[in-house]
Amino acid sequence: MILSLGWKNIWRNKTRSLVVIIAVMLGIFGGVMASGIMQGWIEQRIHTSIYNEIAHVQIHDSAYMENEELKNIIKDYNQVEGVLDTMKGVTAWSPRVKLMTMAEIPTNGAIGGLILRGVDPEKEKKVCEIYRNIVAGDFLEERPGVPSIVLGSKAAETFKLVNYQITPSKLKAINPDDFPDEVIGKVEKGTQDNFENKRDFEKELRHILSKDEYDEYATKLMKYFAYYELGKKMYISLPSKGDNELISGNFAVKVNGIYDTDNDMWDGMNAYVDRQAMNKITGLTDTEVHEIGIITPDRETGVNVAKNLGKYLPGYHIMSWREASPEIAMYTDFSAVMAYIYVAIILLALAFGIINTMMMAVLERIKELGMLMAIGMNKKRVFGMIMTESVLLTLTGAIFGMVFSGIILGILGRTGLNFEMFSEGFEAMGYASLIYPKVSVLDYLITTLLVIITAVISAIWPARKALKLNPVEALRTE
Amino acid sequence: MKVIEIRNVEKIYNDSEVKVHAVNGVDLSFDEGEFAAIVGPSGSGKTTLLNMLGGLDTPTKGEIFIGGTNISTLKGSKLIDFRLHNIGFVFQSYNLIPVLTARENTEFVMQMQGVSKKLRDVRVEELLTAVGLGDRFESRPSRLSGGQQQRVAVARALASKPKFIHADEPTANLDSKSTENLLDIMEQLNREEKITFIFSTHDARVVKKAHRVISLEDGKILKDEVRK
Repeated sequence: MILSLGWKNIWRNKTRSLVVIIAVMLGIFGGVMASGIMQGWIEQRIHTSIYNEIAHVQIHDSAYMENEELKNIIKDYNQVEGVLDTMKGVTAWSPRVKLMTMAEIPTNGAIGGLILRGVDPEKEKKVCEIYRNIVAGDFLEERPGVPSIVLGSKAAETFKLVNYQITPSKLKAINPDDFPDEVIGKVEKGTQDNFENKRDFEKELRHILSKDEYDEYATKLMKYFAYYELGKKMYISLPSKGDNELISGNFAVKVNGIYDTDNDMWDGMNAYVDRQAMNKITGLTDTEVHEIGIITPDRETGVNVAKNLGKYLPGYHIMSWREASPEIAMYTDFSAVMAYIYVAIILLALAFGIINTMMMAVLERIKELGMLMAIGMNKKRVFGMIMTESVLLTLTGAIFGMVFSGIILGILGRTGLNFEMFSEGFEAMGYASLIYPKVSVLDYLITTLLVIITAVISAIWPARKALKLNPVEALRTE
Repeated sequence: MKVIEIRNVEKIYNDSEVKVHAVNGVDLSFDEGEFAAIVGPSGSGKTTLLNMLGGLDTPTKGEIFIGGTNISTLKGSKLIDFRLHNIGFVFQSYNLIPVLTARENTEFVMQMQGVSKKLRDVRVEELLTAVGLGDRFESRPSRLSGGQQQRVAVARALASKPKFIHADEPTANLDSKSTENLLDIMEQLNREEKITFIFSTHDARVVKKAHRVISLEDGKILKDEVRK
C-alpha cells in the first residue's frame, strides 16, 4: 500500500519529479563516468605494468636485491622450478637473466645504458606482453648467425635507429578515421624528406600544422611516419662468470625488433635477448637466472601466491606486484577512494535537491497528511510513505543513470576515449592516452546503495516535518 | 445501547493571556444508529466538541467513552489506532487522496486495518454502489464532481465499519441537489448499517434531516431535541 501510494505520489508534480530524476540520472552518469575513466586509466596502467614489466610475482635471490650483479643468481633453480610447477594459482612463469649493461652502435655513433633481459622467448611470451607491442621486426624469432635484440622505441631513438619520412605508401595506407581530412591534406603537401632526427621532424610538423593540430596529432603522426632501421649491429658490454667487470662490446647482437608500450621510461631502458645467447658470453648455465616472473589468474591471486611461495621457498626474495611496484598498488587503492569521493560529492549535491523536493512535497500536502493521520495512518506509516517517495524518486533516476552510464561506458569500453593531445605527457609517465573507461558490477551496486542511503537520509528532515503535524491544525490549512 | 458517552467535558484554549472555554462542562450520550446534528453559531464549540469525540483533540477536563473505551486517556499511536478501527471521518472539503481512484480511496482505511483483499473488494463494491457510484470505481477525484467526491468520502468512512461517523460540515461545499442526494444516502446507510452519524453543521438541510439536534452556545448545551 505504502509502496504503491508512494509511487503514485511521485507523479503528482511530474515536472518537479522529472527534474529530480534527470538530476539524479546526470549525477550518477557524471560520477560513474568520472570514476570509470579514472579507474580505466589506472587499470590500464596497472595492466601494462604487470603484463609488460613486473608480472604478478617476482622471485630473486636476496643478494640480487642488494646488488644486481651477475653472480647473485637464484641458488636452487630446480627447487624453485619444482615448487612453481605444482603450486596452485601459478598460470605461467619465465626465468630471466637481468643485467645493467652498456651498448653501442658504432656505425650510428650511438652509445647508451640498457637493462638487458635474457629470456626464453616462448616462456616469456606467456608472462610478458612485450611481444604484442612490436612495431617493427619481430620478438626474438629464431635466426641463424648473430643473436637478435629487441629494443624499445625510446631506446631506438637513443641509438639513432629511427627515421621519419612522409612516404607515398604510408600516405596511401593512412586510416582516415585516425586523422581529420584537413590534417591529412596538409601532411600530403609537406616535404617527403627523410628526417634522421626526431626534433627536425617535429619542426617540420610544426611548420605544416596549426598549433591546435600539432598539439593534438603530432605524437600520433610521428609514430605513424617513423621508420625503424632494423638489422643494425649493436655491441653490448657484459660481465662474465668469475669476473664481474663489464667486458667492452663482448656481446654482438642485431636489432631485429622494436617494441612500443605506453611507458617511455621502460621503452628507453629495457632490451630483450635470447637467454641462451647471453649465457654463452656470461658463462651462466640454463639453471642460473636472476629473476623469475610469474603470472597468476588475477591480481589478488598474485598476492596470495607470493605469500605461499614465501613459505615454500624461504631465503628467496619473493614479492607480489604490490611490493614490486608500490606506486601501482597505491594507484589501485587511490582510484577506488577517488571514485567514491566523486560519487560522494555528487550525492551531496543531490541530497540538497532531494531535501528541497521532498520538503515541497510535504508542505504542499499538509492538509492531506492531516487527513491521513486523522483517519488512522500512524506515524510509522507517514514516515514510511515520505521515505518511500524519496527512495523511489531517487532510485528511478539512479536506474536511468545506471542504464545510460552502462550504455555509454559499453561504447567507450570498446572504442576508448582518446586523449591524444596529452599523449606525450601521459606516455612519459607510463600512461596510455587512449583510455577505456571501466566500472565493475560491484561499483555499480555500491553506487546504487549509496544513492538509496542518500535518498533515505535526505528524506528524514521532510518526514520529521510531516510527523510533527497536528491533524486538526493540518486539516484547517488551505 | 450507548455508543458514546461524554462526561463533564471541558476544553480550554489558552489564547495568549485569555482563557477561552470552547466547551464548558458538556454531558452527552449517543445510542447506536443515531443520526444527530450538533448545531450552533460560529465559536459555539460544535467543531471542538466533535473533534474531541473523534479523538482528534483531547479534553482539558472530563471523560469521553466510545464503545466503552475512555479515549481521553489514549495518546499517540494508541489514539491513532483507535481512530482507525472505531471512527469514520467525513470532512468539509472531501479530503480524498487525489492520486487514488474511488475504489482505492474507499479501501484505503481497510488496507491500513489489514483487511484481506477479498473482503475489501466485496465491501468496496457494496458501498460505492450504495452511494450511487457503481460505475465510477476507477475514477480519480479530479474526474468526480464535489457531490460524488463527498459520496466516496462517505463510503471510505463507512468501509471500516466504525462505531460512529464524524462528519464536520459535510455539505458546506455542496449545492442543494448534491446535499439532498448525499443526506439521503447517509440516512439510508445509517438505517441499513446501524452506524451512528454525528454532524457538526450550519446547514439547515442537514438539521432538517437529523433525528436529533443538539444546540450549543458558548460551549454549553442549549437544547437537545430528539425528533424521531
